[in-house]
Amino acid sequence: MAGAIQDLTASRGLARRPQRATEERPLVRWLLIAISVGFFAGFLLLPLVAVFVEGFRRGAALYFQSFSDGVSLEAMKLTLITAGIAVPCNTVFGVAAAWAITRFEFRGKQLFTTLIDLPLWISPVIGGLIYVLLFGSQGVLGPWLQQHHWRIIYNTPGIVLATVFVTFPFVARSLIPLMQAQGLAEEEAALTLGARGWQVFLRVTLPKIKWGLLYGVILCNARAMGEFGAVSVVSGHIRGLTNTVPLQIEILYNEYAFAAAFALASLLSFLALITLAIKGYVEWRALQDLKASQL
Amino acid sequence: MSIRVEELSKAYGKHAALHNTTLEVCTGKLVALLGPSGSGKTTLLRLIAGLETPNAGRVFFHGEEVTEKSAYERRAGFVFQHYALFQHMTVFDNIAFGLEVRPRATRPSKAQIRDRVQELLKLIQLEAFGKRYPAQLSGGQRQRVALARALAIDPSVLLLDEPFGALDAKVRKELRAWLRRFHDETHITSLFVTHDQEEAFEVADEVVILNEGSIQQIGSPHGIRKDPANVFVQDFLGIEYQI
Repeated sequence: MAGAIQDLTASRGLARRPQRATEERPLVRWLLIAISVGFFAGFLLLPLVAVFVEGFRRGAALYFQSFSDGVSLEAMKLTLITAGIAVPCNTVFGVAAAWAITRFEFRGKQLFTTLIDLPLWISPVIGGLIYVLLFGSQGVLGPWLQQHHWRIIYNTPGIVLATVFVTFPFVARSLIPLMQAQGLAEEEAALTLGARGWQVFLRVTLPKIKWGLLYGVILCNARAMGEFGAVSVVSGHIRGLTNTVPLQIEILYNEYAFAAAFALASLLSFLALITLAIKGYVEWRALQDLKASQL
Repeated sequence: MSIRVEELSKAYGKHAALHNTTLEVCTGKLVALLGPSGSGKTTLLRLIAGLETPNAGRVFFHGEEVTEKSAYERRAGFVFQHYALFQHMTVFDNIAFGLEVRPRATRPSKAQIRDRVQELLKLIQLEAFGKRYPAQLSGGQRQRVALARALAIDPSVLLLDEPFGALDAKVRKELRAWLRRFHDETHITSLFVTHDQEEAFEVADEVVILNEGSIQQIGSPHGIRKDPANVFVQDFLGIEYQI
């Protein structure tokens, strides 16, 4: 008996590292890692670096000069205004929609849930076009708007509307699965303790969903500032008036003002990197909270 | 304060969870709702708390009809099976919650709230735990905090949904005895749901046996054991047939 046990331990010492059944063979593993990292470097990292390199090609002085150009400044202002309206709108809508979908039963709920994703499926160009068809001078409401001297298309309201349309799903989508998973027990407890609806929301629900909400808001903001297609249709490209940063970049590029185009592009890329960093932090915090609640 | 429900019915879609139930819990009594899972006992408790809306029937607290009142107006102290403590708040803030959310006119001062919470922490023997978070407590401690939180608002009635269901056998026994002692001291009208007959018969003054959404028998633990009303009660309690 003793000999048998000794034999076993001896052979175990000699054996190679045990391979788990779910683990791929080394060659396959390396190949998969090489392909994905290579693809990432070639198609994502390299262009990103190129944007910054191109922006700085003619020196830092010209790089910063590109931002102080009046037209570019107007474009940045318009982008900030657009995001400043679209993001709060979609935050309120997203929370309301997620609340309704996860808390109430109503007819057509399934359809509503599906339709929230609509802007993600269709081309952003269509997102812009529907507003031209609605509010443009040839559109359904066009003549009436003209009578009242309201300009929506080729004006800031149109740009805001198109951006709201495109960034519509982000907050709702990041909240719905979270709120479904969390359930209702804490809210019910708050109700039996005498809390009213808004108190339940502010004191119980909001702290529970805050990281998910922040995550959605950041994604929504990144998309709102970067949106090109939908905004391009309704903007009319009036310099210094209806050009957002992405549109301005295209104009500069088409005019062979490469340094200026890439300088502005690097600004948007920088925004994306900040978004990624915050997103990473928010995900990490949400995970910490989840771990803490499951101790 | 007494609880009275009259001909209460509740259906989810086509499934009748509770039909035509009439029940009275007398002031100061500790009553158990006992039945197998799916018998409608939790539904009945949630209807009394105002967490569900009945399809028919009426609910009274101490003679006053509360059927149309929302859960926050009824303020029945409710203890949930899985505690439902506010994860992001300390034990202290959890217990203080019901007092903090009162309208300014009836809200106690900060000092009064602090005293009340300390008093309750002492009652549940967790005086040193006020600054902890629910995640840092054991199951039995969490359930005691949940009870203290429900008691903080001086509830007219206390409703407990499988209060010991998620605890291990030893803690269960301790908390059970503790609840009985607590009730003997406070005499707050209480109704608790359980599927464990030993628990019901040991703790309650009176036991209500439910099956498939209907009350089968109401009586004292002794009375029910001695004289089961029908075959279901007999089977459920495992009492031998006596011909």
